[in-house]
Amino acid sequence: MRRIDGELILLWTLPATIVIWLAAFVLFPGFMPPMSPTMSANEVAAFYRDNAAAVRSSMIVFNWFGVCLVPILILIVMQIRRMAHRTPIFSYAMLGCVASGPALFLIANVCWLLAAFRPERNPELTQLLNDFAWITFTILVPYLIGQSVILALAIYFDDQPNPIFKRWVALFNLLVAAALVPAAFVGVSLTGPLAWDGVLSFWVKNIAIAVWIVVMGIVLGQAVYRERAERGSRGEELVDA
Amino acid sequence: MAVLADKTERARFIPGQADMWAFVLFESLVFTAYFGFYLFYRTQNPEAFLHSQAQLDLRVGVLNTLVLLLSSWSMARCVQSARAGAYQAALRDVYLTAFFGGVFLCVKVFEWARQIQLGNNFDTSDFFTYYFFLTGIHFVHLLIGFVVLGVAVYQLRSPARRSQQLVETCATYWHTVDFLWVLIFALLYVVR
Amino acid sequence: MSAVITPPESAATPPAGPLHQRIVWHLSRSPKRELWLAWATMLVFYNMFFPIFFIVAQVQPPPQPTWDHAMQVHWFNERHLGIPLGLGIIFAIGGMNSINNALIAYSMRRMSITRVFGYSYLIIYALSAIPGLYLLCIALIVGTLRPERNPEAIEWLYDFAFLSFDGTMGVFLIGSLIWMVAILIDKNRVFPKWFGYLNLCNALTELVVAPCWIFRRGVLAWNGQIAWWLDMVVFGVYQVTFIVMLFQMIRREDFGTGPLPDLPRKKKVAA
Repeated sequence: MRRIDGELILLWTLPATIVIWLAAFVLFPGFMPPMSPTMSANEVAAFYRDNAAAVRSSMIVFNWFGVCLVPILILIVMQIRRMAHRTPIFSYAMLGCVASGPALFLIANVCWLLAAFRPERNPELTQLLNDFAWITFTILVPYLIGQSVILALAIYFDDQPNPIFKRWVALFNLLVAAALVPAAFVGVSLTGPLAWDGVLSFWVKNIAIAVWIVVMGIVLGQAVYRERAERGSRGEELVDA
Repeated sequence: MAVLADKTERARFIPGQADMWAFVLFESLVFTAYFGFYLFYRTQNPEAFLHSQAQLDLRVGVLNTLVLLLSSWSMARCVQSARAGAYQAALRDVYLTAFFGGVFLCVKVFEWARQIQLGNNFDTSDFFTYYFFLTGIHFVHLLIGFVVLGVAVYQLRSPARRSQQLVETCATYWHTVDFLWVLIFALLYVVR
Repeated sequence: MSAVITPPESAATPPAGPLHQRIVWHLSRSPKRELWLAWATMLVFYNMFFPIFFIVAQVQPPPQPTWDHAMQVHWFNERHLGIPLGLGIIFAIGGMNSINNALIAYSMRRMSITRVFGYSYLIIYALSAIPGLYLLCIALIVGTLRPERNPEAIEWLYDFAFLSFDGTMGVFLIGSLIWMVAILIDKNRVFPKWFGYLNLCNALTELVVAPCWIFRRGVLAWNGQIAWWLDMVVFGVYQVTFIVMLFQMIRREDFGTGPLPDLPRKKKVAA
């Protein structure tokens, strides 16, 4: 029998993660409102000069807590393993996505921090770092799309009377995946909805991610508690975590 | 079962696994491509290649070739001994093969060091690019050869294993490494 | 542990009928549907991957390391739409790669060996996509973003992209070796031994591209005949082969833990 002590602790790190991420997101001066790709090199350099402290502190926080979603994703992997599948392929595929998801984000994070490190640097170099950071941040969707599609497939193939996740969760994940796709095309233009400050690449993508985290957090929590209840009713002793 | 009978029949005609021969064929094709590029670019620039080639010591090349040929001989003896059931003799032969392989490695590293001392590096001239590349990739194959010899030793040591097919497969690999070296030797050292 | 269900025997046979009906059955009702879905994903992914790189984005075959700034800038400008569109598709479908790796990890799980092999392979290939694929695509996209950018910065992006592609093959090298060892010591005969040796050939070819970090011209440069062309040929043969080998594995799969049965002879002839 799989050991489940401690899963509740990990699960309840999610609200903390959400609060921290939200705070850092709002603190970063480049997000609210998002920086425009059409800013000239000098304007970008001025931005980092004037906002160095805010950039550094928000990105350092993101650096500390960037991987915090991984335990939650692994909890989802564990729930996939409980589904009525013949093979562990879906949990393997999910694991593959989880393993590298945060890495792309952390690269963007490092580039922003680098840009703010020497604000007196040649503005063209600062602009290059800024471009790299923004493109990476926007385009990091492949693992997220992968996760959502794999989870949706796993749910659709979960053929049992009491599926671990209800069918609507699968549909929800497919919608989120679709919402994330436009961000992959951020390089097409410096203006408009696909640009990194545009409706599709910034607002839709980030809101979709936020909604996914909240909804999946709740749904996952229900699944975890249900599993503990089933185990408890079978007379197992559980540590209260 | 039909499959097993098939396999034992094949074992009588092809030494070792047929799979290893497929690998040998593939690697030979790849090396042929490498040699093809070498020869082509050599015709583009014959004087430069000749000039660089003159810096190679033919005696070292001959020594290495002899050493590797000896190692192939000891490996062949090992297969014969194993076939006759003389497993202690076979083991000794594998160790001998490994010894010769080790000698080859040392001589090769010494030769590389000398060339670098003379000022001929990986990117010094086209000829030396090919020289270090071909001998380098062969070196890697030889290192893998030691792993393969290890497999042969592991098989020969315990009566529970001693698969003749596997020992022959290892021998096939080792002979291939020797064969490739002979070609490299001919191309780099001899053909002028 | 994953809950394993045993479907009733009658559900295990495909219906007779036209090909597309049988394909739909295999993907949705067959006991092996998860495997077939993964395999189909792999096929679709590779069929999109190569045309996108070669035709849409036109970033392969790679340009020369020896080009001057003007030619590099011109190269990026020619592709100012092809690169963000084509590589955008790569980012959208990149998650499929995870399913490919999962199928290969599964093949190792079916073997008689420790699960460490499968998990190692999964993690190695998951994270190797970052230096080996995603970073270089980002570098290329950033390169097309501003045509008026300082040419030296463009050159940095140009180098980053192509060196990152050829020069980070090392990560795939170890993965190939892991699969090779798994196949060679496997007693369940999931794959024939020659396929294990082919993994070695692939691993060796990935060794050979490393000199691209040293050379700017010649056969070992990032666009050289050995470091790129020959490497692509070996890699192409390897890819097609493993797609076929996985297909055969799924056909033979019996969800047991012993040796994988061979395909019955008459089915082979009919196929």
